Amino acid sequence: MKAVILDGIVLGLGFGLLGVGLTLVYGLGGVLNLAYGEIAVFGAIVVSQVMDRGAPTLVAAGVGMLAAAALSVLLDLTLMRPVYRQTGEERTLLGLLLTLGVAFVIVGLLNWKYPTGALYIFVGGDPISIAGVPMAAGSVWASLITLGVAGVLLVFFGLTTFGRGVRSVIQDETGARLVGISPSLVRTLIFALSGGLAGLVAVTRSMSAPLTVTAGFDLTTFALIVAVVGGLGSVAGAFLAGVLLGIVDNVSAHYIGEYITAIVLLAAAAITILVRPRGLLGR
Amino acid sequence: MGGSAVSAAPGPRPRGPRLARLLTRALLPIAVAAAILVVLPPLWFGDSPYTTGLAVEALVFGCYAVGFNLIFGSTNQLFLCVGALAGVGGYSTAILSDKASLPLAAGVALGTVSAAIVGGLLAWIAVRRSLNVIFTGIVTLVFSLAFTNFIIGQRDLTGADTGYVLQGAATDLADDRVGGYYLFVVVLVVLLIVFRALQLSHVGWAFRALRDDEVAAELAGVDVARYRIYAAVVGSAMIGLTGGLYAYSLGFISPVTYGFAQVDVQVLIIVAFGGMGTLLGPVIGAAAFGFLDRALTDSGQLREAYYGAFVIAIFLFLRRGVVPAAVGLFDRLASLRRGAQRVDGAPGRAER
Repeated sequence: MKAVILDGIVLGLGFGLLGVGLTLVYGLGGVLNLAYGEIAVFGAIVVSQVMDRGAPTLVAAGVGMLAAAALSVLLDLTLMRPVYRQTGEERTLLGLLLTLGVAFVIVGLLNWKYPTGALYIFVGGDPISIAGVPMAAGSVWASLITLGVAGVLLVFFGLTTFGRGVRSVIQDETGARLVGISPSLVRTLIFALSGGLAGLVAVTRSMSAPLTVTAGFDLTTFALIVAVVGGLGSVAGAFLAGVLLGIVDNVSAHYIGEYITAIVLLAAAAITILVRPRGLLGR
Repeated sequence: MGGSAVSAAPGPRPRGPRLARLLTRALLPIAVAAAILVVLPPLWFGDSPYTTGLAVEALVFGCYAVGFNLIFGSTNQLFLCVGALAGVGGYSTAILSDKASLPLAAGVALGTVSAAIVGGLLAWIAVRRSLNVIFTGIVTLVFSLAFTNFIIGQRDLTGADTGYVLQGAATDLADDRVGGYYLFVVVLVVLLIVFRALQLSHVGWAFRALRDDEVAAELAGVDVARYRIYAAVVGSAMIGLTGGLYAYSLGFISPVTYGFAQVDVQVLIIVAFGGMGTLLGPVIGAAAFGFLDRALTDSGQLREAYYGAFVIAIFLFLRRGVVPAAVGLFDRLASLRRGAQRVDGAPGRAER
């Protein structure tokens, strides 16, 4: 039981990081970025290409994250501009449709250029024992990195001036502008952060299992569910939701069975949304 | 072109001809669309089974889109479960008529009813919890994914990923693509007439009111919850009926036939492209995507990328969809002609 829950937490931390990238962009731009999973996959392919050319893994991972961040910023500076000029539901819908188109373009190009592309980062070393349960070294490292990043993000948004500036834009764009914070600059920086996180998720996930070109759709769906269950715009909420859903997923996979698990997971998400439409930690 | 005959001043006339004229005006767009659809096979693709197959698919998507247009375009409920609702219809039809050996019509009818019940339940939940567009979208998306997993999990009943061959399927329908084409032309026309009738009745008024401003509609005495559920039930029945008949015309179904990525994404794009809440938008959108499919047949791996680029382009330049844009252009030309005292700024609300 303990092993099952630990595995669930490892899985859930990955989910959580994925949700954070999506939730931030939604909170700021009002855009549900449906190309998010594809940006992660793009990062993964860049990492694997750089590694194939003989670069050390760490360098390759850095390049991949930067590439994903750059792609995300490009999206913000070009296609998202007309979206920001809209308000309310028009904005949401246009953002949804445009990023959907972007997702098709990215997955189409990647499939064409690297039809068998995949990223798998092998982490050597013996299983590490945590609370008496032996865990694969790759998973442990991935979780540690994720936890570290989560900590940095929480401190950043909770304590630093810039982090508070970002939260102020989430809460009230006009108010933020009045006190001298530029919403469009903040937005661009958050798109960069979100893209970088997508690249990081690609790297950490590939440390326990290969990440293929076709993984984008699943990544986007998971990010979406985690972000909504956690409360759109809430960083801590996304992590909490990720970990909870990860545990639900693993426990049910272990005791009930594979296909039912997906249904249990989805039902858990649906029930959370219905009971608390603002999400676990949403305002 | 002289449009003056139609817009002649409505003087006091006897009731009979006026009703007839009203009916003609109401059904004219549908009749024109139907006439074009009917003459297409002999004039163009009837002798190519491949192209006819694509045309059948476009018609099926057109039918899905009419249902989705009723739910989303008319009452703002983002149902991201068109594929799943069609699957409820399709799998119910297939299993009921094969395993419970019901006649085809009964199977299709029960499939349609099941889809309507599921759609109604989803709308009821969304209304009760007063979910907004995005949350309705997420809950129905979750339902879609759960449905696919459920179908895959019930291997004995549904054949899971390998798919399900309908034993009772009319093989002549599956072989004779042109027959399938005409079947779906009939279905599409019937669905359009239902849509038009709703649009022109008091229900249509309620739909427009609640789409423009929900709170104002509620204050004006429109029972928003009831009309939402109503739209979801009727729209889901349309989708379920199409899904059931499609299963029959294919003779084979699998989770992919009704998958989220395969159905919902395309239907959303079709309706948004054609024009949300318009009568002919879904038909025009489906036709455009039929053409696109045909044009992209040979581009292999890059197909998806082209498709995405096309989606981006249309939403950057035609935000409200083709039909409202065309109506707007027409209005503008007409007002220019009339001496152009004013150019109407909001032509998008036209009910065509």
